[in-house]
Amino acid sequence: MTEGGPRGTIEVRGLVKAYPGVVALDGVDVTIPPGNVLGLLGKNGAGKSTLIKALAGVVQPDAGEILVDGEATEIPDPHVSAALGFGFVHQELADVPNLSVAENVLLGLGYPKRGGLVNRRKMRSDAAAVLERLEVEIDPAAPLASLSIANRRMVMIAHGLAANARLFVLDEPTASLSDTEIEHLDRVLRNLRDSGVAILYVSHRLDEIFSVTDSVTVMRDGKTVFNSLTKDVTKAELISQITGSGQAIETRKRYVLPSGAADLMKVEGMTLPGVVEDASFTLKEGELLGIAGLVGAGRTELVRLIFGADKAAAGSVSVRGQEIKINSPRDAMEAGIVLLPEDRKTQGAVFSFSVRENITLPSLSSFRVSAPMPVPSRAKERAASRDLVERLDIKVGDVEHPARFLSGGNQQKMVLAKWLDSGADIFIFDEPTHGIDVEGKEEVYNLMTELAERGKGVIFISSEFVELAGSCNRVLVMAEGRLVDQLAGDEITESALVESCYSDEARKGALK
Amino acid sequence: MADSAPNPNETSPAPAAAGGAPSGGASTAAVEAAPSGRGRSHFVSKYGLLVAFFLTIVIFCALRPESFATVRNLDSILTLAAAPMILALGLTVVLVMQDFDLSFGAMIGLSTGIITACTVTFGWPWQLSILALVGAIFVVGILNGFMVAYLGGSSFIITLAMGTILTGVEFALTKQNTVFGGFPDSFTWIATGSILGISNLIWAAVLVAVVIWLLLDRTEIGRYMYAIGGNPEAARLSGVRVRQLRVLGFIIVAATAGIVGLLLTAQDAGYSPSAGVAYLLPAFAAAFLGAAVFRPGEFNVPGTIIGVLFLGVIQTGLIMLDFETYVINLVQGGILIAAVLISRIGQQSQ
Repeated sequence: MTEGGPRGTIEVRGLVKAYPGVVALDGVDVTIPPGNVLGLLGKNGAGKSTLIKALAGVVQPDAGEILVDGEATEIPDPHVSAALGFGFVHQELADVPNLSVAENVLLGLGYPKRGGLVNRRKMRSDAAAVLERLEVEIDPAAPLASLSIANRRMVMIAHGLAANARLFVLDEPTASLSDTEIEHLDRVLRNLRDSGVAILYVSHRLDEIFSVTDSVTVMRDGKTVFNSLTKDVTKAELISQITGSGQAIETRKRYVLPSGAADLMKVEGMTLPGVVEDASFTLKEGELLGIAGLVGAGRTELVRLIFGADKAAAGSVSVRGQEIKINSPRDAMEAGIVLLPEDRKTQGAVFSFSVRENITLPSLSSFRVSAPMPVPSRAKERAASRDLVERLDIKVGDVEHPARFLSGGNQQKMVLAKWLDSGADIFIFDEPTHGIDVEGKEEVYNLMTELAERGKGVIFISSEFVELAGSCNRVLVMAEGRLVDQLAGDEITESALVESCYSDEARKGALK
Repeated sequence: MADSAPNPNETSPAPAAAGGAPSGGASTAAVEAAPSGRGRSHFVSKYGLLVAFFLTIVIFCALRPESFATVRNLDSILTLAAAPMILALGLTVVLVMQDFDLSFGAMIGLSTGIITACTVTFGWPWQLSILALVGAIFVVGILNGFMVAYLGGSSFIITLAMGTILTGVEFALTKQNTVFGGFPDSFTWIATGSILGISNLIWAAVLVAVVIWLLLDRTEIGRYMYAIGGNPEAARLSGVRVRQLRVLGFIIVAATAGIVGLLLTAQDAGYSPSAGVAYLLPAFAAAFLGAAVFRPGEFNVPGTIIGVLFLGVIQTGLIMLDFETYVINLVQGGILIAAVLISRIGQQSQ
């Protein structure tokens, strides 16, 4: 690519941004050349999201500059960012679900008009043309809300294409995507790159970094610490740069269920028509039970039924041989079942609350000033939440700071912390490592193992089969709303799980 | 870690917040670590309204020392503020949970109607009339709450419609006939009497303020209510009884409306139709003013109290300065807009 042209390099120099209690960016340098996929790596709170926000004009840096084609450029708001040709695909979808696909693709770009009114036919054909370049079959007239998460990400990329973006920033774009969907996304990104677009690719998944990116930049504690061509670096090297510990994390030892463990929870015939079909399984005391499956297999829906977050059409749950009536999450909690929900933003955190108030919310009545009075003691709450913040290594200046100041991964850890000391017997973790860095993931695995070792029953849902294979003593496989297979002990490997998910039985959704 | 890190913004002097401002309770932690540029706008958004309130008092005292700066005037302002105070406090509870209640104006009217019809028309002892009122409070609160929290109706529309229905019931009871007298002295004492030289109306407002402050700021229920306001789904998945608490909110609003209806009837020793409508908007204004102070963007009891008093002081002060009614309207409206916008700016700077 030629220097200084309209498709020149985008460069970030010495960017600094401080929040109360946290310096998010502490002199960041990143160079994004055109026709290149740059992988951006770093732990939670390393400053990746803040960097992206600065590029998007959402956050104003305290110092440093952003150079576009060699010229220092201020990005005071998202409009300027869009005008510069920056397109964003966020981890959490930032589109307009109640509009059609076509309206989203062309959002803010000026809809085609005829006689002063929007020309819907032209708008749809324009959108269809862009979608075709992405090799996706999406009806431009369909409401966006009816699309899968993968297709909604595609629509966001299409929006960037339609805007003729020169830089695409993708923040954890493969979160909750299936393997085929990820492959497709990779292909689209490579085509974009070959057309001269610059791509900044943020991900915690190292496999993807190696398959998609041309070069990598690692951030740590708000600074850039490592730059390299992807082909010149090894996985172990990257991990040590990310963690800063200088050594790669060793592989874990599989958790083994103690023999003679008693049944803890029995789920029978759980059904929500079209979503979960007749799911039955037993969880033993001290068991670390994984549930594998492709996105849309019904894993989240199944555990939500068990927890009483949604109402089941049929099915029963018994704990220690006693059937319990679950009509609400409250009922489940009283029976000793807790659920860490999949989506921390909409289901996990209260952003107007402090970290302390978030952590103590589910177990508030255990922090009373004195037992008969329903008055929480802030001192007791503070002591308990400080302890959890330390144990989970949540990066926050003080537990009284508002939860919204935490980085994404730290918010996830905070949501985890809510449940750890709740005194429950059955812990359901739905994608607990989503958006968490390598070190943090290790902490989460250790926490779950620790709970199992204490005799609790743990259910672990994950789309990353490696982590299921690395930690569970048994894994159930779900497909099309049914439990179709189970693997135990050493037969649990990543490839065995993948195979099981794609097997004919799984396709048909037949019972094993 | 970051507290000790060099901060490029810390060259300017520390905000005045540290010195003169009254403490807003527990939530000052975030300010301490803030760079001072942010700290200043933080101070304005947190305490700006409080400063404006005290400045207004000082100005009125200076301009009308002989009439405004008197104990008698203080007593009069507080007495006038009692009814709006009780209502705004009840309203704060539902607003905390992001619900609206537009029916409480009509509920006041219905309450005056129930007390009057039972005591004067049916000749019941007034204590029994109050029992009937308590029953009505629960029926209205539970109906509102059930339709909103369990059936999923929009609280705005449901309570608007409920207000119309309540007024209908009031008129059916009283045939819209104005009533003078017919109440025993023991009943009118509730509003006209005084204890320790302070009007019962003021005592009632103080009592309600203490109860609702304890409820919202000190109890588990209050914390749950704020959690519902912050993220209802996260609250539900944390085991909070979201629907029950929302119903409780509507019962509390109906109760404060009932108390005000009772006090109005006792004060006037009589009844006039739809007496409550005039109270609807001032209560909302006070609660929204209150959300602009102490904890910007969040409805809170100390804020609501300041909001009610501020509007009361301005009204009395401007009357004493011989301004016409329209000026009072302009000023009160302007202050509400300014306060809401200033608290927005404070939130955005975060």
